[in-house]
Formats: sequence, C-alpha cells, structure tokens
Amino acid sequence: MSFFRRSVLSGCLSVVFLSSTAHAGDLMNWGKKIAEEGNGSPGSIACMECHRLNGGGMPSIGSPRIAGQTAFYIEHEILGVQKGTRYAPVMAGVVYNLSKNDIRAVALYYASVRTPKLPDVSPPDPALVALGKHIAQKGLWKKNVPACVLCHGPNGRGIPPHFPYIEGQNKGYLLRQLISFAFLKRKDDPQGLMRGIARHLTQRERKAVAEYFASLNPPATAGRGK
Amino acid sequence: MKIRSSLLVVASATLLFSGSQSFPPIARGQEPATFQPPSDSEIPSGPFGDLVRKGEHIFTQTGVYARPYVGNDLTCESCHLDRGRKPYAAPLWGAYVSYPRFRTKNNKVSRLGERIQGCFRFSMNGTPPPLDSETIRSLVAYSFWMSRGAPVGVKLAGQGMYRMPRPKRQPDPFRGKKVYAARCALCHGADGLGATSGHDVAFPPVWGPRSYNMGAGLAKVSKLAGFVKMNMPLSKGDTLTNQESWDVAAYVDSQPRPADPRKIR
Ligand code: HEC
Ligand code: HEC
Ligand code: HEC
Ligand code: HEC
Repeated sequence: MSFFRRSVLSGCLSVVFLSSTAHAGDLMNWGKKIAEEGNGSPGSIACMECHRLNGGGMPSIGSPRIAGQTAFYIEHEILGVQKGTRYAPVMAGVVYNLSKNDIRAVALYYASVRTPKLPDVSPPDPALVALGKHIAQKGLWKKNVPACVLCHGPNGRGIPPHFPYIEGQNKGYLLRQLISFAFLKRKDDPQGLMRGIARHLTQRERKAVAEYFASLNPPATAGRGK
Repeated sequence: MKIRSSLLVVASATLLFSGSQSFPPIARGQEPATFQPPSDSEIPSGPFGDLVRKGEHIFTQTGVYARPYVGNDLTCESCHLDRGRKPYAAPLWGAYVSYPRFRTKNNKVSRLGERIQGCFRFSMNGTPPPLDSETIRSLVAYSFWMSRGAPVGVKLAGQGMYRMPRPKRQPDPFRGKKVYAARCALCHGADGLGATSGHDVAFPPVWGPRSYNMGAGLAKVSKLAGFVKMNMPLSKGDTLTNQESWDVAAYVDSQPRPADPRKIR
C-alpha cells in the first residue's frame, strides 16, 4: 500500500516538475539529474549505478548498454516495466516511482549520450560466433526465423524508432532477453514478433546469436554508423 | 480538445489491436512437404559455382550488383524471400522447372530469362538487362542450381505465389486500411514508404515512387493477397485471415505507385 502512496506522491511531484521543465533543454538536464542522482523521491536509485552516466551498461551484471537507443524505445521499455509487460526483475524495483515526465526526460538524456564499447565478460567463442553470424545474416527460414538484420538493420545497428540496436550489446544481457522472450515473460514486443522468433531457436542458437552480436562494435546511435 | 481525445481513442484502439494476446505467438510452420533446395555449402567451385554466387549477390543486393537495371528501392529478395528459397514466395527452385511456359501477359512462350526481364521491368521498375548479359545468365544459373533434384513437369507445393480462394466479401480498401495500420505500418510506415537504417533501405516501400509499378504481379490484388497471406507480417505468415489479406491487398494496391511502362507512350 505504501507503493500506492508513493506513486501518488511522485505523481504530485511530477506535476511540479512539469511546470518547471517546460523547455527541452530543461528536460534534458532533468534527465541527466535522474541518471546521476535519481528523481529525489524516497528510495529512488540513480540510473548510473548500473548503466553508467554515459549509458555503457555493466557487462559483469548483464546491465544493458542504452546509450544512443532512440528516446522512443527507452521510454517504451520503461513504461513496459511499470506496466509489467516488460519482464525486468532488476529494473522493476528501480523505475516504479518515475513519473511520465521523468521517463521522457531520462529517455531523452540517454538517447543523446555516446560512449565506446566496454569489455565483455569473456572473449567471443569462434564456433558460436560463426553459427550466430549465419542466423543473423541469413536466418533459419526452415523454422520461420528471418535474418535478424531484416528487423534490426544492417549488422543489428537498429531501425529507428521501434527496432533497437543489438550490435555490440553485452552477451549476458542479449541471452537473457532471448530467453525471456522465448518463455513468454517479456511480452512488450509489437505483434509478438520477438517471442515467435526466440521460441523457434534452440538454446545453443540463442547463445550463438548473442555471442555474434556481442562480438561487434556498437553503433554510436541507433540506425547510424560507428 | 476533441481532436485530442479522438486521437487518443485511435491510439488506444491500435494498442488493443496490436496487443500480444490477440495473435498466436507462433506462425504455423511451412508445410513439410515442400521441396528442399541444396544448401550453400553445396555450391561447387569453378566457373559454374562463381556464376551461381554472382546470381545470389544480384538477387539479394540488386541495387548494388545490377544497378543500371534497377529503378526502385527493392531487391529480388524483397518479394522472393529467403534468397529465393521460401515456398509461396515464388521460389527460384519452382521457377526453373516450369519454364519455358506460355504466359497470358504477352501471349507467347517465355523462357526463364525473359520471365526475369519482366521482374526487372515491372517489379523493379527498371530496365530489362539483355538476355545474353551476365546479369541474366547468373540469375538463371542461380535458379538452375537451386532446382537441383526438383521433379520437372509436375506442379510442386509452394511453387509461385499462394493462390487465394475467392473472398467471401468484396475486398475493401477501407477495411484494409485498418489491417494495414495494425499489422503493417510498424515496418512499412503509415505512409507506405518503408524505413531506413542510416543510408540503407531497411523496410522496403510498399507504394510510392520507389516501389513496384502498376504493371507488376503484386499490383494485382489477388497476387498481392496471396503473397501477404503466406509471408506478411514478416515471420508471421498465415496469421491474417483470408478476408484480411484480400482487404489489405486492396488497400495497398489502391495507393499511388509508378505507372505501367507499357501504358506510357
Ligand atoms: C540496479 C541496477 C539498475 C538501475 C539502478 C537501473 N537499471 Fe535499467 N536495467 C538494469 C537491468 C539489469 C536491466 C535488464 C532488465 C532487468 O533484468 O531488469 C535494465 C534495463 C533497462 C532498460 C531496457 C534496455 C533495453 O535495451 O531494452 C532501460 C531503457 C533502462 N534499464 C533504463 C534505466 C533508467 C533510465 C534507469 C534510471 C532511472 C535505470 N535503468 C536504472 C539495471 C538497472
Ligand atoms: C520480425 C522482426 C524481428 C526479427 C526478424 C528479429 N527481431 Fe529482435 N526485436 C524485434 C522487435 C520489434 C524488438 C523490440 C521489442 C520491444 O519493443 O520491446 C526486438 C528486440 C530484440 C532484443 C531486445 C533488445 C533490447 O535492447 O532489449 C533482442 C536481444 C533481439 N531482438 C534479438 C534478435 C535476434 C538475435 C534476432 C534474430 C535471431 C532477432 N532479434 C530478429 C523484432 C525482430
Ligand atoms: C515486387 C515484388 C517482386 C520483386 C521485387 C521481384 N519479383 Fe519476381 N515475381 C514476383 C511475382 C508476383 C511473380 C509471379 C509469381 C506467380 O505468378 O505466382 C514473380 C515471378 C518471378 C519468377 C518466376 C517464378 C515462377 O514460379 O514462375 C522469377 C524467376 C522471378 N520472379 C525472378 C525475379 C528476379 C530475378 C527479381 C530481381 C531482379 C525479381 N523477381 C524481383 C514479384 C517480384
Ligand atoms: C516486422 C516487419 C514487417 C511487417 C510488420 C510487415 N512487413 Fe512486409 N516486409 C518486411 C520486410 C523486411 C520485407 C522484405 C523482405 C526481404 O527483403 O527479405 C517485406 C516485404 C514486403 C512486400 C514486398 C516488397 C515491397 O516492398 O513491395 C510487401 C508487398 C509487403 N511486405 C507487404 C506487407 C503487408 C501488407 C504487411 C501487413 C499485413 C506487412 N508487409 C507487414 C517487413 C515487414
């Protein structure tokens, strides 16, 4: 019940902030502040604890790189976490007290930052990378799996605004997402597209595509080059 | 205010429409009985293998490897999915064994090379390469290689496009527009112009100046309905009803696109 109270409270807070953050620049600054310190409500946690200030993520704990994803996508995911359609055991405890305005602000901020790739937990496994590359670039049509790049753009660099980049994302995160799509826990994908695809892959194939995309360099921003 | 609230209703209606529960998470798989073309590793080395590989490159990156003959943003693979292998997307293995063939489009017996010229002229809105050009020869070689082991002179399951049963109700672009908004616009855009990733075409346009022209096979509502039924939304083939496929095809083909070159004088 304290959850209800808190969200009412943060609702009021956000009204205050809405009126004081009328300009896009202010919104961006507010987003940066949330990333650095949280939104100030009791129990709020700074995003940078797990995603770093520049959005590189933390491969060691499977926290995703979010720098340069589109603001649309970041917002969609956080709203999904709040609604429960996006399975996110860690994030759920972090974003419940963000208002719509907070979410817009922090999405704008992380969409604007750039950062190089961080070292992953282990070097790429060549055999898995080769299998993953085949699936990513050509698909497994016998199982009705199109090439990943058809929906995630060349080499997985993203097709704004709906299709996130997966190129250069860390392997632990990639694999966990594929598993949670496959077992229908993550269900915020439009038309169930990713659930269908992830379910058709074997565990080894999921590992292989995760290894492959993790072995690449991330784009500076979704849908663009390095 | 009024506009706002009606927008909101539309938005939440599409949300409902595209909500996960209303669609089965997995499309029915392809029929197991279709012909299995040879795999990549079976392309021989030597001049024939080189021609086959060249054909595949042209097929999947048509604008790069056959640039002078292409007049839009499509590739051969945009419609002949899985590099020309997918059943019910006019696969190349089914094509090779069914030519020469009599075609009503021009009332003559066509060879495969001539059929491919047709796709350049209409589906690619471009210029047909000469029959003896390396472009046509490699595409024919690619098709020949892929049909290895396919029986000749019989109708194969999955050959050509899917032939739709007659619709219960007259296909209706207005109903089709709703289907398009819920199931197609995500990728091909509300404006039908597709989507890009950087400088590359990512989702191909389904109408407008960079799509297939009015003379193309898909400009016929029945052909497009059959293609969509079995292949779209991508990876979710066979999830639209027959009526939805007819309606969305009627809508897409009612939109502007380049004229039929036979009718421009
Ligand atoms: C305690 C660590 C932690 C904190 C703090 C945290 N995150 Fe996350 N975040 C994660 C993890 C782990 C995931 C992967 C989903 C999961 O397992 O919960 C994730 C997923 C995400 C995603 C989805 C990325 C994608 O590619 O789909 C976004 C967006 C995101 N976080 C934004 C934020 C923002 C904004 C904040 C600050 C308000 C924040 N996170 C705070 C750990 C954290
Ligand atoms: C038919 C289109 C389509 C294809 C093909 C496709 N995806 Fe996706 N994928 C999506 C969509 C849409 C999303 C975003 C879901 C959302 O909004 O939450 C997504 C999301 C993802 C995510 C989560 C990204 C993140 O940052 O959390 C991963 C990982 C992923 N896809 C991997 C793959 C892999 C690997 C393949 C190939 C085996 C693939 N996808 C093929 C449509 C597709
Ligand atoms: C806009 C969609 C589209 C594009 C792009 C396209 N085609 Fe086609 N193609 C079709 C349709 C529709 C048919 C007719 C299938 C039928 O009648 O069942 C067809 C038929 C064919 C056939 C004969 C198949 C058969 O079974 O009779 C061949 C061969 C072919 N195309 C090759 C190509 C090549 C090579 C390219 C690229 C240069 C290409 N197509 C580009 C739509 C397309
Ligand atoms: C998840 C993304 C996605 C959705 C949703 C989708 N398509 Fe496609 N569509 C594609 C891709 C990708 C191709 C090209 C395939 C390739 O190049 O291998 C394509 C090709 C096509 C083509 C042939 C090429 C062209 O541009 O003319 C048509 C026609 C088409 N789609 C119609 C539709 C219709 C109608 C719907 C809705 C019922 C739909 N699509 C839904 C991704 C999608």
